[in-house]
Amino acid sequence: MGVKITTTLNALAEPNRLNIVELLRDGPLTVGEIAERLSLLQPQTSKHLRVLSEAGFVEVQAIANRRIYKLRSEPFQVLDTWLKTYRSVWEERLDNLENYLQKLQSKGEK
Amino acid sequence: MSNKMISKVEGQELILERVFDAPRELVFKAFSEAEHLKHWWGPRGWVLTVCNIDFRPGGIWHYCMKCIDEKQGDFYGYESWGKGVYQEIVEAEKIVYVDYFSDAEGNEAEEMPSSKNTITFVEYEGKTKLVNRAQYVSAEALKAVLDMGMEQGITETWDRLAEHLQSLQ
Repeated sequence: MGVKITTTLNALAEPNRLNIVELLRDGPLTVGEIAERLSLLQPQTSKHLRVLSEAGFVEVQAIANRRIYKLRSEPFQVLDTWLKTYRSVWEERLDNLENYLQKLQSKGEK
Repeated sequence: MSNKMISKVEGQELILERVFDAPRELVFKAFSEAEHLKHWWGPRGWVLTVCNIDFRPGGIWHYCMKCIDEKQGDFYGYESWGKGVYQEIVEAEKIVYVDYFSDAEGNEAEEMPSSKNTITFVEYEGKTKLVNRAQYVSAEALKAVLDMGMEQGITETWDRLAEHLQSLQ
């Protein structure tokens, strides 16, 4: 999968970065535009974009002399897979528990 | 019907709910004693080969799940160590613990996400409703994922659950 789940989670855990990702949902933007809309300083914004980029959330496209940041879907798929796995492990576990509890109780009644 | 698992995300928590046709004390016991856990904690095809449990606040639960199902391919023979550190225990009502991926020595695996789990046992029409709330350290991410699902098709699973839940009511 390439990207580790903790990298993915940590990248989004910082509120400014989460805001950046949410902002980019509406479409690609430059660093300057992101900084302005979120009232952040440009160097700060660049730093957050670097973390997001390392976690695979964003990619840069150079158009004319502008560098435009846009979202990538891969880390979202990583998170989604992880959530599904989590869910199915618990589903099986609780199925087991249910069977086990039934067994225990039927023994108790005899 | 009522025994289906419900999963949802509220704020920063992943929540699982399920109703068991058993008294609350018994369900609580199933979570708190090694002899019980060994019978069900592992997923299908996995067994608990080690289950050391010190069931008290501050106590540690260290366990190993081993895959014994040849059909699971790469996982066959694989061992997965887990470690829980209990924070709060209220007899028959509540267990709070931090859940870590671990190794045979009990070291916490830093590259895997840990979570704080709160399990509550609620009496429900003579049955027991189990609610497991998992809060991940960086769980804001979960909400983001769900909010963003529309275009990536991520929330699909959860939406279906929500619909299912609605239809049951």
